[in-house]
Amino acid sequence: MNALALARRPLVYVLLSVAAFVSVFPFYWMVVGATNKSADIVTGKPSLGDSLFANAATFFATVDVARIFWNSALIAVVGSLLTLAVSSLAGYGFEMFRSRFRERLFALMLLLLSIPFAALMVPLFVMISQAHLTNTYAAVILPGIASIFIIFYFRQATKAFPAELRDAARVDGLKEWQIFLYIYLPVMRSTYAAATIIVFMANWNNYLWPLIVLNTADMKTATLIISALTSAYTPDYGMILFGTVLATLPTLIIFFLLQRQFVEGLLGSVK
Amino acid sequence: MNRFAPWRRALGIAVAGISMITASAALAATTVNVWCWDTNFNGAAMREAAARYNRDHPDVTINIDVSMSQDDIRQKLQTQLLANNTQGLPDIVLIQDDVAQKYLQSFPGAFVPLGDSIDMSQFAQYKVAAATHDGKAYSLPFDSGVTGLFYRTDYLDQAGYKAADLQDIDWDKLIDIGKTVKAKTGHNLFGLDLNGDGLIRIMMQSAGAWYFNKDGSLNIVDNAPLKAALTAYGKIWQADIVKPVSGWTDFTGAFTSGDTVGTVDGAWMVGTIKSKPDQSGKWGVAPTPKLAGVDGATHYSNEGGSSWYVLSSGPGKDAAIDFLKTIWAGDKDFYQKILVGQGAVGTWLAARDGEAYKSSDEFFGGQPVWANFSDWLAKIPGVDYGTFTAEVDAAVVAQLPAIAKGGSVDDALKAINDQAQQQMQ
Repeated sequence: MNALALARRPLVYVLLSVAAFVSVFPFYWMVVGATNKSADIVTGKPSLGDSLFANAATFFATVDVARIFWNSALIAVVGSLLTLAVSSLAGYGFEMFRSRFRERLFALMLLLLSIPFAALMVPLFVMISQAHLTNTYAAVILPGIASIFIIFYFRQATKAFPAELRDAARVDGLKEWQIFLYIYLPVMRSTYAAATIIVFMANWNNYLWPLIVLNTADMKTATLIISALTSAYTPDYGMILFGTVLATLPTLIIFFLLQRQFVEGLLGSVK
Repeated sequence: MNRFAPWRRALGIAVAGISMITASAALAATTVNVWCWDTNFNGAAMREAAARYNRDHPDVTINIDVSMSQDDIRQKLQTQLLANNTQGLPDIVLIQDDVAQKYLQSFPGAFVPLGDSIDMSQFAQYKVAAATHDGKAYSLPFDSGVTGLFYRTDYLDQAGYKAADLQDIDWDKLIDIGKTVKAKTGHNLFGLDLNGDGLIRIMMQSAGAWYFNKDGSLNIVDNAPLKAALTAYGKIWQADIVKPVSGWTDFTGAFTSGDTVGTVDGAWMVGTIKSKPDQSGKWGVAPTPKLAGVDGATHYSNEGGSSWYVLSSGPGKDAAIDFLKTIWAGDKDFYQKILVGQGAVGTWLAARDGEAYKSSDEFFGGQPVWANFSDWLAKIPGVDYGTFTAEVDAAVVAQLPAIAKGGSVDDALKAINDQAQQQMQ
């Protein structure tokens, strides 16, 4: 090891430590805050406090916890499954089947990605309300199922899917849907795992659209309800941060569960 | 001629009977839906009002939805009114005063002019002015953001000042006091956030001015109160008596932690200040300092505060109006209850005669805080917040760092004018 490399190593560690601190600190602050009184959080107390149970009690007394987490879970799970099913099929189709307009259609879709959601919101709301779907889970889930980003993601991933596998399956007499279900799906496990993380997080954290289409408190998701707690003359930050910790857990669990599968999928994929 | 009389009478009775049945059926099914934010403040006040109304009107169900933040409510109202779909919107909605004009002007006919059925002269006039459009008053005025100078009496004491030294002073005098206090105790006067212009707005409204002329056009460059406010703001920073803060928690933390001497804010800040019970007896409230050398300058201003609006699309709007009229414009005890319970200073002037308003508060060294606030709120100059307050706020905030560093106020006014003009097109 030469002198330059030796000198570089501490520098790399310092930089990495700073980056790690910046990314971990908000989590640390959230967890510590959940154990402190609101008045202490406001004055910047950085250490663990003794108010965890008091905050939890206030949170459970203020919010119908079971209801909002059920709403969030239902929307996130059903929404993720449907999005993965529809968008992966589309991504697969775009790569596997040739047609005259394929590239132009795909380019057009990518262009649509650049339209901000806020611009689509009012017309989309008109559509949903004319279909009499406002204040239903379907209203939240349906518009996100055909996700351009996920279609794009699956198309890119499908480029690495060996055409020989498909051809062999065809020779063996499998129908197209069977190829997708029995060959493509298991082979692309890792892609599905990664996409699940992205889609689940997007659904779980989705804010603006559920806010617009859900009207009654019993339909609202954890994200909406917890965020509304901050809008007070004297917010109870301890209670809010406790709620935030709870609401972060499902995404964390999904992430760590699938991260392992994600790596396994990579190891077991076709070489 | 009499031949038809019995027949007619029977018909009449039948018709009357049917209409009575339908009327009572309609009444029995009446539901009033309310949207507001902040369950402990607005929500609690509304729940108290609903409970009182239900004693005499058990047939009306009042549903209070506090599951949204203020921004959420604005977003939903705006989207649905834009989409021209009022399905799912409430009968009563809470709107903050400085954004109300945007809704009244953008969505004509969406709200019921409550001034037609409720006597608006019973309310603080600056609140009514904020919700008046085309000569009609649209809101039932709720809480006041009447401002005061909240300060730590112990710090001032150490520097040799008494409560009387803060009466009837202007900002220059307060800056002098702040300098002495800092020299003797080491505590800064205020925590200020360069990303917010609340203090500028408080100063400006205390002299009866806002960013706009009567016709809605910008009034920036020749706006004497605004100029005086920016000048005073610059002086405060230049005097080195400011703790720079960032964000709301940092801002409130500056004075609740005992770091700074105090703050100038709306009466609703009482709840935050009282969140530190160990500081009881160490706080005082003085009138807002005056802008020096400005015509119409007063010691009274406002920050924040909201009012109730009735949507014309609401199926329960008639019951909603009756509810607001009966409790919010008629029940003195109700206002005492929410003052004690939530620290909510109502703007229905008759409420001031109640017991709670006259009581003193040990937290504030036995001062009659609420009597003072309610006395001040009746004198707040009314202003028209217009539709572009948020845009001009952004333009003002952009100039604050330069002013804090001692930059030219005239240049800043010009820059604010230019940026705001661009935003308003």
